[in-house]
Amino acid sequence: MSVLEGALIYSNLLALLALGLTLTYMTTAVPNFAQGSFAVFGSYVALTMWKIWGYHPYQSIPIAFVLGGLLGAGTYIIVLKPLIKRGANVVTLMIATLALDLILLGFRGIYAGLLGSLIKQPCEMFMFTYLVRYVFGIQDILLVSFSVIIVTLIGLFLLLYKTKFGIALRASVENPMLSEIMGVDVEKTRLFSWFLSGALASMAGVLLPFKQEIVPATAELIIVSIFASSIVGGLSSIAGAIFGGYIVGMSESLVTYSLSILTNNAGLLVYGKVVSLVIIVITLLVAPSGLAGINWRKVIRWRSYR
Amino acid sequence: MEILSLILNILLWFGLYVIVSLSLNVEYGYCGIPNFGKALSVIVGAVVVGGVVTRILMAIMGIHGDIVSGSSAVSGEVNSIVQNDPLYGIALFILSLILAVIVGTVVGALFILPSARLKEDYLAITLLAIAETFTMVCYYNPVIVGSYYGVSVPNIFAFVPSSIRYPVLVGVVLLMALVVYVILSRMVNTPYGRLLKAVRENEDVMKAYGRNIMMIRIKTMALGSGLASIAGVLLTFYTLRVQPDSFLNYGRTFWTFFPFLIILLGGAGNNRGVVLGSFIFATLWELVDFYKDNIVSALHLPVEAVWLEYILFGVLMLLILFYKPEGLIKEKPIITKPIKRIMTKRG
Repeated sequence: MSVLEGALIYSNLLALLALGLTLTYMTTAVPNFAQGSFAVFGSYVALTMWKIWGYHPYQSIPIAFVLGGLLGAGTYIIVLKPLIKRGANVVTLMIATLALDLILLGFRGIYAGLLGSLIKQPCEMFMFTYLVRYVFGIQDILLVSFSVIIVTLIGLFLLLYKTKFGIALRASVENPMLSEIMGVDVEKTRLFSWFLSGALASMAGVLLPFKQEIVPATAELIIVSIFASSIVGGLSSIAGAIFGGYIVGMSESLVTYSLSILTNNAGLLVYGKVVSLVIIVITLLVAPSGLAGINWRKVIRWRSYR
Repeated sequence: MEILSLILNILLWFGLYVIVSLSLNVEYGYCGIPNFGKALSVIVGAVVVGGVVTRILMAIMGIHGDIVSGSSAVSGEVNSIVQNDPLYGIALFILSLILAVIVGTVVGALFILPSARLKEDYLAITLLAIAETFTMVCYYNPVIVGSYYGVSVPNIFAFVPSSIRYPVLVGVVLLMALVVYVILSRMVNTPYGRLLKAVRENEDVMKAYGRNIMMIRIKTMALGSGLASIAGVLLTFYTLRVQPDSFLNYGRTFWTFFPFLIILLGGAGNNRGVVLGSFIFATLWELVDFYKDNIVSALHLPVEAVWLEYILFGVLMLLILFYKPEGLIKEKPIITKPIKRIMTKRG
């Protein structure tokens, strides 16, 4: 039971992270290699709020949302926008996000040291698992992570399908040049997608320490799972990113768990990322454009013929 | 004395980065493959020394047990043999190099297989994911190179008097860098090198000319990884240990990010530029390292210098991308003999 709970929590967080990555890929066509660092940024926001002001991590979700959003928007304005204006190609933009990831790693290291000397506790590694309470025998983090993702999805749906800005955003993803001619401010939609991406990642980051320990290499490792989720979803489909998050999250936990039971070797539990990698490779070989690229109607018709 | 060791440090890292960056330059600068998993080939070089060569020695010497304790027994015994018999050390070095280049070449070719047909962004993501996953497996798996404990490696220069051992090692590193430089500058001046540039500029045209883009990419990655694993071997014989946790914490930054920084600093698609870039980078890095205590105490903050270095070099990369994306030495058009003839005829 607790394995399933852990898998669901992890999947919820991955879905949030993959959603952010996919949003920015759709608007700016660059895979953001700093997405893991955006998440760990949120973890440190939560740690600071908890250790210094005593706010429970759940209470710091809104502030992490805002700060993470500012980080994402800042990334776009300071790093990517000037490069796109200079006509940089996708590899240059990817290298820029890699550089940003390193800069954030540096700041994170310095901040962890400063916070550690302030509260007289090492802050390079931390977890929030000791804060988990049980509601009707279920970990409350499971309920919280589900509520976060449901609220996010409802909000995103209302925004994209019920507001004028949402229509403009979808139009600028579909055809940036044409929508610019029609008077849509493509810059604004790009900026918004980066704000949202940073905000979602940071929220996921607040909840991540409930599931696994935050260490200096966390951001570098989780990026593999985030990319796996987005690639399974096709890298440019919002629904795909959500499904991808659940597929990768569930298989990382459950495949390693069932293998460890079958072989009676608990050491296998740590190899979740290998499952992610296998999923990436299979997706790229079988359906390179992911779930979103599969023609489902054709699949159904083919099945009914047989 | 301190200045001398500073110069030696600069030369050591210069040599190592020349090897890795030149090999990345073939992949990225010439062929246009954004190899965000470059660290993998360096790590493979280190793992071959720590995991394969050590096991061969264990089998020869009849030492049993796991790799962690076995490796320290092996390195102790080999060190005492090498002290009296330089040939043993040299043979061990050459064996490690040959094995690492073979394994590195095979790994490089396999490494790109899943993504050889894909666009740049997917390619970069997949290569990074494979490298990170391999690093993580090395870190968790105790069988490969001893997980958390790491593996000790024999000192192949044990026959050299300890006062000049470091200069000799630096000399060997520089010699290997020169060999790689000569190989690669010969290779890129062949039809193959020009083919790579053509693939980078326009894949579709090359496809129309009947070239198999996938095969070209696989060959290039095999070449690049094979050469970069030499740096892994040299690094291991310098540190005398293989530590998977350092792969995890530093691998991507030191052996993927910094080589990209060097290439963009010096000029992509241009071997001389990459050598210049390596020199500037190694000098900057060592100078910051040399004065780090002064810098940290000047800031009056409990800050580790490595974080400042990350920020500094990350910002440097962004500045290069903003203001000098073609690098210090710009790539020149290739002028082959027939083209030269036509140019002189036209005046």
